[in-house]
Parts: sequence; structure tokens; C-alpha cells
Amino acid sequence: MPRLCEWLEQIPWIVTITNSAILISLVWLVHYIGFFLLVGTTAVVDLRILGAAARNQKLAPLAGQLFPFAWTGLGMVIVSGFIMFAGQATTFYPTFVFRIKMGVVLLALIFGVIVQRKSPVWGSAPSVPAVAKWLAFASLALWIGAILAGLEVPAFIPV
Amino acid sequence: MHTWLVGVCDQLQNIRLVVWLVTARYAYPFIQWTHFTGLSLWLGTTLALDFRLLGAGKKFQTAAELSDALFTWNWIGLAIAVLGGFTLFATAAVGYIDNPAFRLKVGVLLPLALAWHIFVQRKSRTWGRAPETPTVAKLAGLMEIMLWVSVATAAVWIPNY
Repeated sequence: MPRLCEWLEQIPWIVTITNSAILISLVWLVHYIGFFLLVGTTAVVDLRILGAAARNQKLAPLAGQLFPFAWTGLGMVIVSGFIMFAGQATTFYPTFVFRIKMGVVLLALIFGVIVQRKSPVWGSAPSVPAVAKWLAFASLALWIGAILAGLEVPAFIPV
Repeated sequence: MHTWLVGVCDQLQNIRLVVWLVTARYAYPFIQWTHFTGLSLWLGTTLALDFRLLGAGKKFQTAAELSDALFTWNWIGLAIAVLGGFTLFATAAVGYIDNPAFRLKVGVLLPLALAWHIFVQRKSRTWGRAPETPTVAKLAGLMEIMLWVSVATAAVWIPNY
């Protein structure tokens, strides 16, 4: 793995992007807007399941409307996140908080997929089942945790 | 005017709580966290409506229904983002008010984008009645996306000064 990280850091186009203030800022921009879309739209579906948003609307069409935006955001986050990681792979890879962040994101994504697959079923039931509320709560908490973990990463990287 | 503003900013960043937030090693990311959590709600829901106005996801809901569903958490998101943003500003206020990217963001782009957002959100009730939105709604949605991207671009550029 350390060798792979060294190799990633030396890929010519990664070096070019990492060393250019304009290009790397653009990558950060895509990463931010991507996760705003991903987390913002996922959160509204979770809040709807918890009964704290759009209570006058059915869950299924709202979830159907919002999840494609969430996955678009995820695509932006993965592409930009990979470039950000590759540029400093040897620094990021051993950092504990970075690993925690990736773990939390992975868990949040698993919950997201479950919520998306189940929401048509939950949405057609007379009331949202309790298990759905627990899953939605976990999803919400994990995404908020992922944002914090992501922001803590630079604080834990030795200068 | 400028001297007075610098004075206010200087007082702001010397408030005890603010000084503590800056000096405690792991505290600063928590302020960023507030800002970014709020922004996720605010921009996630704002951009979702803009994309719907542009025609994405027609088969699920009308733009008016989506706008109605997102309204409350859209504004809760902004309130959280402003709270976090103001605290972030307070930690280094004197530096920020002379930062060209910050001035462009907060003084020009943000008020423009906010005003445009209020306009689009209000109009989406009439534009969004039918599954197909009118051309003017598409243009307005596209315009709003560009405005928020420009706000975010200015924000990302702040540390480069």
C-alpha cells in the first residue's frame, strides 16, 4: 500500500493538478459542491422518514426525486476526492482520522443504499415503520459525522 | 469607515470565547463543521430545486411540490451556515475584511445569490405547477446554479490571499 501511495503521488497529471493553485481549488470546489448535494438531499429524505420534513408529502416520490441528485453528488465527491487523496497519498493514508472518515463515509453510503431501496416499500405503508426511523437517524448521524471527520483530517496531519 | 470597521473586527476576534476557539487545537474544525453542515442543507436543497427547474426528475414531482418539500430545511440550513460562517469570520475578522476574495464573496456574490434564490423559490410555485417547466424557469435555475458556484469559488479562493 505505501508503494501504491508513492506511485499515485507521482502520476504526472496528479502532480500538475496538486501544484497548481487554480486546478486544486477547482478540485476542492467540485468536492464541496458534490457533498453539499449528496448530504443535503440525503438528509431531507432521512428527515422526511423521521417525520421532521415535508410531512404533507409522500415519501416515495420525494425519495425518487432526491436520490438521483445524491448519487450525482457522490460521483463528484469520488472523482475530486480521489485527486485530493492521490496528490498527498503518503500523508493521508497513514493518518488515523482519514481512515475513520473513510469508514464513516462507507457506512453512511451503505445506510443510504438501504434507505433508497426500501423507501418505496416504507412509503406505501400507512405509517413509516420504526426500523426505517432508526436507519434514517443513523444515516443522518453518519453524514454529519463524516463532515466533522473530513474537516478534522487537516488538524491531525503532522506539519 | 475602514478604521472603524477594523476596530470592530479587532474587538470581535479578541472576545474570550473566540480566542479560545482559535487556540484550542481541535476546536476550529467544529466551527467549520457548523458552517459545512448548514451549507450541505442549504446548497443541497437549493441546487436540487434548480436542477428540477432545469427538468431533472420530471416523473417524480413537480418543481412546486419539490420546492414546498424543501422549503423549511432549506432555510434552517442557511441559519446554521450563517451561524458557523459568522463564527469563522470572528476568528480572524481583521484579516478577512481586507481579503479580496472574502469581500467579493460576502459583499457582492452572496447578496446577489440570496436575492436571486428568494425570487426563484417564490416563482417556483407558479413555474412548477406542470411537470414541464417554462424556459424562463430553466434559465432562472441555471442562473442560480452559476451564482452559487461563483460564491463557492470565491470562498475556496479566500486562503490564497
